[in-house]
Amino acid sequence: MKKSLRLGAAVALAATASLTLASCGFGGGDSGGDSAGGKTTLDLLVPSYSDNTEQLWNDVIDGFEAENTDIDVKLEVQSWDNLESVVTTKIQGGEAPDIYNGGPFAGFAADGLLYAAEEVVSPETFSDFQDSFIKNAEVDGTAYALPLIASARALFVNNALLQQAGVNEAPTNWDELLGAATKVSALGGGVAGYGMPLGSEEAQAEAAVWLWGGGGSFGDAEAITVDDPSNLPGAEQIKKMIDAGATQADPGSTDRSPLMDIFIQGKIGMQVGLPPTVGQIEENNPDLDYQIVPIPTKDGSPFTLGVMDQLMAFNNDDGAKQEAITKFFDYYYSADVYVPWVQTEGFLPVTKSGAEALKGEEALAPFLEVLPDAQFYPSTNPKWQATDGAFKSLFGQIQSKPAQDVLTEIQAQVDAS
Amino acid sequence: MTVTETRAMLAQGGDRGASGHATAPRKRRYTEDQVSLGRVVLRTLAGLVVLVVFILPYLIMFFGSVKTKAQIRSVDPTYFPTEWHWENYLNMWSTPETPLPQNMVSTIVISVFATLLVLAVALPAAYYTARFRFPFRMVFLFLVIVTQMLQPAVLTSGLFRQFAALGMIDTWSAMIFINAAFNLSFAVWIMHSFFAGIPKEVDEAAQIDGAGRLTVLFRINLPLVWPGIVTAIVFTFVACWNEFAASLVILSTAGNQPMSVALTKFVGQYETSWHYVFGVSIVAIIPVVVLFMLIEKRLVGGLTAGSVK
Amino acid sequence: MRALPWIAPALILIFGVVLFPAGVMFYNSTRKISLSGLDQGSVGFDNYVEVFTFPYFWPIFIRTIVWVVVVVAFTVVISLGLAQILNKAFPGRRIVRLAVIIPWAASVVMTTMVVYYGLEPYFGIINKFLVDVGLVATPEGYGWTKNPTTAFAWSIVVAIFVSLPFTTYTILAGLATVPNDTLEAARMDGAGPARTYFTVVLPQLRGALSVAVLINIINVFNSLPILRVMTGSIPGYDADTIMTMIFKYIQNQHKVDVASALSVVAFLIVIVIVAVYVKVVKPTREI
Repeated sequence: MKKSLRLGAAVALAATASLTLASCGFGGGDSGGDSAGGKTTLDLLVPSYSDNTEQLWNDVIDGFEAENTDIDVKLEVQSWDNLESVVTTKIQGGEAPDIYNGGPFAGFAADGLLYAAEEVVSPETFSDFQDSFIKNAEVDGTAYALPLIASARALFVNNALLQQAGVNEAPTNWDELLGAATKVSALGGGVAGYGMPLGSEEAQAEAAVWLWGGGGSFGDAEAITVDDPSNLPGAEQIKKMIDAGATQADPGSTDRSPLMDIFIQGKIGMQVGLPPTVGQIEENNPDLDYQIVPIPTKDGSPFTLGVMDQLMAFNNDDGAKQEAITKFFDYYYSADVYVPWVQTEGFLPVTKSGAEALKGEEALAPFLEVLPDAQFYPSTNPKWQATDGAFKSLFGQIQSKPAQDVLTEIQAQVDAS
Repeated sequence: MTVTETRAMLAQGGDRGASGHATAPRKRRYTEDQVSLGRVVLRTLAGLVVLVVFILPYLIMFFGSVKTKAQIRSVDPTYFPTEWHWENYLNMWSTPETPLPQNMVSTIVISVFATLLVLAVALPAAYYTARFRFPFRMVFLFLVIVTQMLQPAVLTSGLFRQFAALGMIDTWSAMIFINAAFNLSFAVWIMHSFFAGIPKEVDEAAQIDGAGRLTVLFRINLPLVWPGIVTAIVFTFVACWNEFAASLVILSTAGNQPMSVALTKFVGQYETSWHYVFGVSIVAIIPVVVLFMLIEKRLVGGLTAGSVK
Repeated sequence: MRALPWIAPALILIFGVVLFPAGVMFYNSTRKISLSGLDQGSVGFDNYVEVFTFPYFWPIFIRTIVWVVVVVAFTVVISLGLAQILNKAFPGRRIVRLAVIIPWAASVVMTTMVVYYGLEPYFGIINKFLVDVGLVATPEGYGWTKNPTTAFAWSIVVAIFVSLPFTTYTILAGLATVPNDTLEAARMDGAGPARTYFTVVLPQLRGALSVAVLINIINVFNSLPILRVMTGSIPGYDADTIMTMIFKYIQNQHKVDVASALSVVAFLIVIVIVAVYVKVVKPTREI
């Protein structure tokens, strides 16, 4: 029996050996050597806006590293679906990225994880941000994030369909919108009057378009107030649109992107879109006869939903890194680097110099025009992230549940966070 | 007694074990007894139906992969592509979104080494637990399978922390260990059930002849449980091949990521390159099918195990 | 202790990798964790209270059980039939066998994606087909993946589809170990094919089949991608199982703590199921 023991040990040894081999054998591709040769390494975690994103960032990094040979920038691109869970995992593991591009930032700021904006950009760069945007990055008067890009929404109108339905003017208020959409829907053949995406992808945006357009609001930096009487008119109007058959089927579970594909191919009368939509139409159906008009509101008063994405810098207690981050941001926001970036992605610039450079851009004109009337998400409220999630997972129920119940349920989920 | 003799004896022993009848080994296979032509036609028809059902989704996938980005999202879909854009299969290797050749290498390295590791570790455990009663045998088997019941989505943050502490973030070896650990239990259980199907007398006979434990395992038992081992290999390999949740957080450099993660890079905020998503998926299926073709003979070979002279 | 050299490598590998993250999960379930992932101290069993007081918990629990039972039952029955077909000789059997492997080789996410894509109104080929043959009246197709009931039903179909290859092949491998002579003997005793199957073949498959079912139970219970894709855009909690609920806690509500608590609950549920199964079926029975 001694023999069997020896052989058993041999098997165990072989297994252990292969373990050891595996662990020293591979560093895996071209990773490794973190700060070899006194270089400072910056981890940059960004979401993918389009199929250009990775290339755009690589170009920025190449240009930056050429000027700063002692700094190494490591890029990680994630899809929006995975971005937030990846960053949370990294933070929990004590490996927060140095620079992060995302939406909600107030939660990170409240946990004391971020550098204040002025700690990581030069005064010149900081003063170049447009005031309205930097305000949306402030918590208690201190900016913790750097505006990256902005978008404003507007109503995309399929002229051909409206004409066919006998509607000559694009709607400016809810009554006109309901009338026009109902007529377009009546054309039949799979055509829908108004494209209403209340599915999980971006329910909070379509909700804001209606609730705020009726005089409501999600709240401010201090309190989230979704369950508020001022939000009811908008919510009721959504139901009215659905019940009148003015929208596509199943609006409560329709996602934004696929629906926009349908609009682009001329099967939807009207849908709210944003600057990159112009580029998508250009690419996929340049013959589409459309116009861009301000979003219709309850009483026709001007309004748009403004959305801003941010860059933020995590404080990893490393002076060298802080310095490197500052250099990177100053480089990135210089007009020569920033303008082509934002232009290719098709968004609105957030810097004064950028706005100046893109003033004449025709595709952006309808959005720049409505921008002064933009209202933003209460993203400076630490609970905004939870509110955003609650809208995504619950708001679409408005298709089948009473409007008040849905608002109450969302508020309850936010309060419980 | 030679090994071949032992196997022949096993064939008979197997019969005894299952039915009590001891008849001489037969060459004819269960699958190929005298059948009428009508029956063959019927079987072929049934096979054809199975073929169509199992291929259909992947046919849709394939057709999508040779369309353009715009055609895939056409509101007026066609059953067959109107144009065949074979260049998609060339272009996807050099997209700005992800370095696909490197992703392919990553996937292969991680899956192959994880599978080998699983085999090296699971085989002895499966054999021993099937052959010997020892204290805590059931506890061991149960403990092993318990690890499978944990939800990966929640474990990833702990895994990340652990491998960060070990300095193994963004390395292939981290993923090899993770994949191996999470697929070990099923491999043990599958092989265990097949080892358990071989009568003990075979081992005892061989041991009387002076064969050591390992000889018994490798020369006598292995050939008989090939179908089980193949099942376990395919199971492990496929699971590693498609693993996503842990790779997503552990591997951060684009070139280190496997194809399952690379696929998500084609998903933009407002637009997705579906033609590449589908094309890459088709390409990812092929190596597994090839692997299967190579070892499937072993499975069929198992069918004739009882007829070795 | 003679067992140690044989099983120690397995123990080291499994527990070396799994123990810590599992521990973290249990630990997190009793902590309060901020949105950004910071630990803010112990809250005892508050997270568990939140899990059980969630008004949709019990419907979700029942739906999870339905999900597991229906998927596994259909998978096993269909696989037994499929294995019989693939075990018989006919021209082209090798090709068919290879085809059956494809859903296994393909990632579950991609298989689900393609079915989802086919089922979409406007774009989907399956919807187009249903419109063309007159089963769906609206020209753009029906929103199969936009209504909880139909989306859940299709998820079950997909889950069965992707579970078939593994189960079928395990049974095939099991069939390969059925001795021919036993079958001959049964035939000589005058047993028809049906009786031979149920009295000789099926008992011999017991080992392979019982392990396959066990693995299926665990996998189907833990399955997230299918429902995540098929029911992902549907608001509310009418198509959720425990797994998608865990995912929603993490993804939408950023509550890693509550998600951990629910994971622990899920873990206990599946342990109970498996323990009962092992006790009743005894897949480790020695021959």
